[in-house]
Amino acid sequence: MRYWTGAAIAFFLAIVQASSVEQFKILGVSPNLLLVFLVAWLVVRGLDDVLPMLFVAGVTFGLVGLQPPGVILLALLPIAGFGVLRELHVVHSDLILVVLLVFGASLMYETVMLGSIMATGGVRGVPEIGTGLRAAVVPAAIVNVALAPAVYFVMRFARPAQRRGQLSF
Amino acid sequence: MTARTLAWTSFIAIAAFVLMAANRLTVLDPVENVTLNVTSPMQTGLSSLTRPVADWVNNITDAGALSDENRRLREENERLTNELARAREEAIQQQSAEDLNAVKQQFPDDVFLASNVVSRDSSNARAIIAIDSGSGDGVREGMIVVSEGRSLVGTVTKTFDDYSWITLITDPKSAVSAIVQESRSDGVVSGNYDGSLVMDFVGQGAAVKVGDFVTTSGVGGRYPSGIVIGRIADVQKTDQDLFQKVHVDHLASLSKLERVLVLTSFEPRTLEKPE
Repeated sequence: MRYWTGAAIAFFLAIVQASSVEQFKILGVSPNLLLVFLVAWLVVRGLDDVLPMLFVAGVTFGLVGLQPPGVILLALLPIAGFGVLRELHVVHSDLILVVLLVFGASLMYETVMLGSIMATGGVRGVPEIGTGLRAAVVPAAIVNVALAPAVYFVMRFARPAQRRGQLSF
Repeated sequence: MTARTLAWTSFIAIAAFVLMAANRLTVLDPVENVTLNVTSPMQTGLSSLTRPVADWVNNITDAGALSDENRRLREENERLTNELARAREEAIQQQSAEDLNAVKQQFPDDVFLASNVVSRDSSNARAIIAIDSGSGDGVREGMIVVSEGRSLVGTVTKTFDDYSWITLITDPKSAVSAIVQESRSDGVVSGNYDGSLVMDFVGQGAAVKVGDFVTTSGVGGRYPSGIVIGRIADVQKTDQDLFQKVHVDHLASLSKLERVLVLTSFEPRTLEKPE
């Protein structure tokens, strides 16, 4: 896939995430369509394809989503680490892999965001960390996991032509 | 992992730290201003396009409450509640000429700048919005922002030429000196990760009860006094604790703000420590 296509998709998704997806509140949190999309793209297309998208998506989302772009990039970076799991073929079902990776990546993403607030003095005590985990980190991971199968199903059409016919649920 | 993948991963990691440093040094401010200028029409369009769907989904998850009607009623309720609270506040303040003079000095004439909300922080941990007024319109960091019903919304924490960021009172980093209107007990209203407001440092002996109004106290000089924050929803009091924990329901519908008012006539002050 050409980089500019991925960059355009990533840019558009970051705008959609910042302007539209944030309006949806399920379990008190907004789903992170951008993260779910990047993980699904990782599973379907591989790490080489997803990394440039991750960079564009992170910077764009940071600039339009009112969070420092550097923190967003750092929060999305564990997706690259999870890419190694795909290469190792530890899970043979792509759908299950997507669900597992979305759960892990969501926990990491929200934890980094929570950590950035702590680092800048936004947490006034240990109980607040618990509240942050309970109110933001865990619900976000659950909501993203619920979204993952639908996004993965759509992403399967982006699979390289020679693998498109294979069933891999 | 191929060499290309490793190179990309390293590049992103380095870029993350460079961008964090750049953000800290406000180098990115012009870029953010331009990006918001370019993308805000698209964001506004997409936002209005998906709002009905979001309302529908949120209505389902909110046990079928009708969102539009709810929003209208909340705004009406907020306006009326504010009028009531302001009337009470005036009555209380008129009892003391000294207090009244102090208030007049702090909050002489309300001058508001109406602004549209153009973007919201979409992380689940923060509560920040962006408005379409910036330093070019006279908005300064530290200015306070209220809803159309005149309830406290938050503080301007960053300004660009054409845009500003508002940290809402529900943000975990927000802390407002507050007073319970009826009992005159003071404390600090802070935001929380679950979007709730908690009033801390309310003494064990303070007579606070559910339904009481909580307003800004003006202590510290960062907020004028008498701006309504919300009503007490719950009071937790145990013998072991030094302070009561008071949960406050904010009056302004913070998750659905479309338009806000920046109080440009109020200049926040930083009080100097005594010698």
